[in-house]
Amino acid sequence: MTTTAAGREVTYLEAISEALDEEMSRDERVFLMGEDIGPYGGAFRITEGFQKKYGEWRVLDTPLAESGFVGAAIGAAMMGMRPVVEMQFADFISCAFDQITEVAATAHYRWGAAVPMVIRAPFGGGVHGGPFHSECPEGWFFHSPGLKLVAPSTPYDAKGLLKAAIRDPNPVIYFEHKFLYRRIKAVLPTEDYIIPIGKAEVKRAGTDISVITYGAMVHLALEAAEVLTKEGINLEVVDLRTLMPLDKETVFESVRKTSKAIMLHEDNKTGGIGAEIAALLAEECFDCLDGPILRIAAPDTPVPFSTPLEEFFLPKASDVLAAARKLASY
Amino acid sequence: MPTDVIMPQLGESIAEGTIVKWLIPPGGRVEKDQPLLEVETDKVSLEIPSPTAGVLTEVIVQAGQTVPVGTVIARLEGQVATGVVNRVSGVVVRPMEPSPTGEDHYSPAVRQLAKEHGVDLFQITGTGTGRRVTKKDVLDFLAKREPLGVRREALGETPSPRALPLTPHEEILPFTPMRKTIADRMVKSRQTSAHVVTFFEADFSGIGKIREAHGLTYLPFVINAVTRAIKDVPILNSSWGDQGIIVKKDIHIGIAVALEDGLLVPVVRSADRKSVTQLAKEVADLADRTRTKRLNPEEVQDGTFTITNHGGFGSLFSTPIISQPQVAILGVGAVQKRAVVVNEAIAIRPMGYLSLSFDHRVIDGATADRFMGKVKGYLEQSKWETLL
Amino acid sequence: MDTAVVAKDIKRTDLLQMYYYLRLTRTLEDRITALYRQGRIVGGVYTSNGMEAISVGYASALERDDIIAPFHRDMGAFLIRGITPGEVIAQYLGKRTGPTKGKDGNVHIGDLKRGVIGFVSHLADNLPVATGAALAFKLRGEARVVVTNTGDGGTSRGDFHEAMNFAAVRKLPVVFFCNNNQYAYSTPLRLQMAIHDVVDRAKAYGMPGEIVDGNDVAAVYLVARQAIQKARAGEGPTFIECKTMRMHGHSEHDSAKYVPRELLEEWKKKDPILKAEQMLTHLDYADEAAFREVGERVQKEVEAGVEFAEQSPLPEGPEVLEGVFADEHEVKP
Repeated sequence: MTTTAAGREVTYLEAISEALDEEMSRDERVFLMGEDIGPYGGAFRITEGFQKKYGEWRVLDTPLAESGFVGAAIGAAMMGMRPVVEMQFADFISCAFDQITEVAATAHYRWGAAVPMVIRAPFGGGVHGGPFHSECPEGWFFHSPGLKLVAPSTPYDAKGLLKAAIRDPNPVIYFEHKFLYRRIKAVLPTEDYIIPIGKAEVKRAGTDISVITYGAMVHLALEAAEVLTKEGINLEVVDLRTLMPLDKETVFESVRKTSKAIMLHEDNKTGGIGAEIAALLAEECFDCLDGPILRIAAPDTPVPFSTPLEEFFLPKASDVLAAARKLASY
Repeated sequence: MPTDVIMPQLGESIAEGTIVKWLIPPGGRVEKDQPLLEVETDKVSLEIPSPTAGVLTEVIVQAGQTVPVGTVIARLEGQVATGVVNRVSGVVVRPMEPSPTGEDHYSPAVRQLAKEHGVDLFQITGTGTGRRVTKKDVLDFLAKREPLGVRREALGETPSPRALPLTPHEEILPFTPMRKTIADRMVKSRQTSAHVVTFFEADFSGIGKIREAHGLTYLPFVINAVTRAIKDVPILNSSWGDQGIIVKKDIHIGIAVALEDGLLVPVVRSADRKSVTQLAKEVADLADRTRTKRLNPEEVQDGTFTITNHGGFGSLFSTPIISQPQVAILGVGAVQKRAVVVNEAIAIRPMGYLSLSFDHRVIDGATADRFMGKVKGYLEQSKWETLL
Repeated sequence: MDTAVVAKDIKRTDLLQMYYYLRLTRTLEDRITALYRQGRIVGGVYTSNGMEAISVGYASALERDDIIAPFHRDMGAFLIRGITPGEVIAQYLGKRTGPTKGKDGNVHIGDLKRGVIGFVSHLADNLPVATGAALAFKLRGEARVVVTNTGDGGTSRGDFHEAMNFAAVRKLPVVFFCNNNQYAYSTPLRLQMAIHDVVDRAKAYGMPGEIVDGNDVAAVYLVARQAIQKARAGEGPTFIECKTMRMHGHSEHDSAKYVPRELLEEWKKKDPILKAEQMLTHLDYADEAAFREVGERVQKEVEAGVEFAEQSPLPEGPEVLEGVFADEHEVKP
């Protein structure tokens, strides 16, 4: 169990844990549901010690029944609670697809019932997880009106966005990247803060090419930017942070400045969020473009297991460098 | 059953065309092959024959507009066209790598900037792939043009250098595509080549008698003399290339033809292989078809040297502008009877000045003069009867 | 139902009230069917004809702050919760004055203020949601109960299993009703399940199960009341199977030729309104005159509802874009 100390360095995972802890202390309506989150502390140990602190009714170990407990979260949320559901892996969210897209997403639109529910979904690959422990399913929900989707890339954003998600009166799916859990750290402020949902952030200002990205790929873009700087190519990295609703203004502002854009995400290419942003740029920012809009994404296959296959599958630095160089010289 | 009228492809590398005017009014009848509209590209102006007989029921693209090749510009109600129709399938897709004539490919950002700042993109050398003019190229150009650091990227007023209000004493002549092209090309050529002019004078009496006897003009004789002089000094028939000066073996002479509202330069191909009479015939035909807008696009391409007959209206000397990517252009002034010294006595001879503009990047003065000496020599001393 | 039991355990006024709602439900749904046949209603029409006693029975046993998570044959429950005939018809006509303002149609009615959870067309999706609502009450220590309902077909879905299981594991204050009307669209019970009585499943989840005559409003009421009290007392969920018959087609466009005529004739004799009248007469609580009076009353109410709905405006196209997300101020921060 993490306790916040002034200016302590925490990992991305600990930041998530802190956000849950603080929100549960702050608001008695917040409670957790998920598999193995009780005494076991969760598959990734995010809720370690929570049940001892908050009791078994606020940290509920559910049966293996995603549709059932997501549906239950919806019902509890309609009654004024603030459930935070943990998907053990984002891959299992498909079992609850029906409840999420048909019940949660449409309730307010159809009969004015708010569903202030959060579903945490550990997504992404690079951990040898194979096809059912590495998926990026955000695309399915991106296309379902009525849901909010967030994907933080840093500990600071992870904490602030989870708090914002819990406080939002709408169903929010929170995509936490499992690859980043213990790999990145930051010193976080002790005071309460939230990151507003629907605001992207320019993580690196640049002049030549806008890289629009989210999740673990933000770090890939930043790495590539360092290399390209030496070649006189200055990348601007825009971290979407919220996938739905998209912060079009920040994206447009960036591309108006650089006139060249690369979409970068780990999700499969076809119909990924990059495609939607590319279409928006072509539609509403056409006159600012000085080159074609490129997309770097995983190929249209399930996530493979074997290391060389997964390495080929995931976007890597060389992909970003090649695309940026080509676009820069266009 | 309606027939689509499409913007035809008027040349290999041509991707769009401008409608100059519709020759048939909407609702009017037209016969098969009857001229339906006039189309212009930067290379040529053409009448387009109707693909079928019928009534022009729908004019989709108006005069003055420029559309990509393959665009449906009108519809005819009549029989479906049979036979070969000059059709390019589908919409022209702009590929990621722009076509080799990169300077014609402007991205939306570049066009927008140019519009906002009143920049003629022809003036800018491109540094992008395929010599594409990039946004940076435009911004750099603007920075040089506005040295006080005004790098205007914001949308806002278009600063127009011509934004003076018209007085009642002034009249606006809207730009035609040809005028724009001529303007751009002339300025660009001046900026590219190091123009120097050398003037020679030639005695046309040797040509005179033969000319009258056969009803020819001076021009075919000049062409003949020039092709022979080129053989002597081949560097006059070359181009500035990336890796060196490209000397061309084929001699394709462009002949400037004045039009009512501009000029075009049809090309006599392999002029060195044609007799004077052949040259005369060809020049007459080209000139005629140029004036009646019946040239084929290939006929204005691939010239290696140009002759401009500016003497037609009495001009004596000229400093003509080289037609890129050539390295020289010869102006032929009016041939007039003048008093000259021949064999220590005064004689009356038909004299004409020859003005050679040449690119000093490639050709030095002495070389130019040597060439001109040859031209003069051939004009004055050839046994023309044998060359007819 | 043993009339002696009824006399002892149900107040006369309550029984008369239930009769009123049976008549109101029937008259309203008949009117809606008529409007549909006249082409004045578009989309689907789903009624609870012949099954009214189930909804009226259980809804009559609920307290004000209890919640229902119904399905598409629960018109009686809507009316008892306070949804008016006018609102129901407005909903059917797609008017802005309906509970969903035209965003959804037919019986997809929901209103948290009146304790009605709006359901979706995917049967059994409402069951996990009902358990969640019950969970909220348990977490907050509130003595409130959720009653949810689905058909025989609904019990085939995974959500039925997951909800029943979760409710039993956590002993949640939820009562599961099953309207077993023997047909799921054209699918007879024998193709829906290998068992004969759905209630057999209750034991498998570790919760008590009851079977009741779904056409006997008093019987349904008593069973419901008992189960609801149990839940309210913290004793966990109950599953109640109501045996009944679907007298009309799956929806009003379905002629249901696949249902044997004899079956329908047999169940016509057991019509819930008929049975209620027999019961009331036998107990001397009401007579023909009283029944006629109720008939006139509900007729007037339904007609007033029709007029209200027909006068109501339709929503305008751009309203499509409204209401996808909830605003901060709609829920307590």
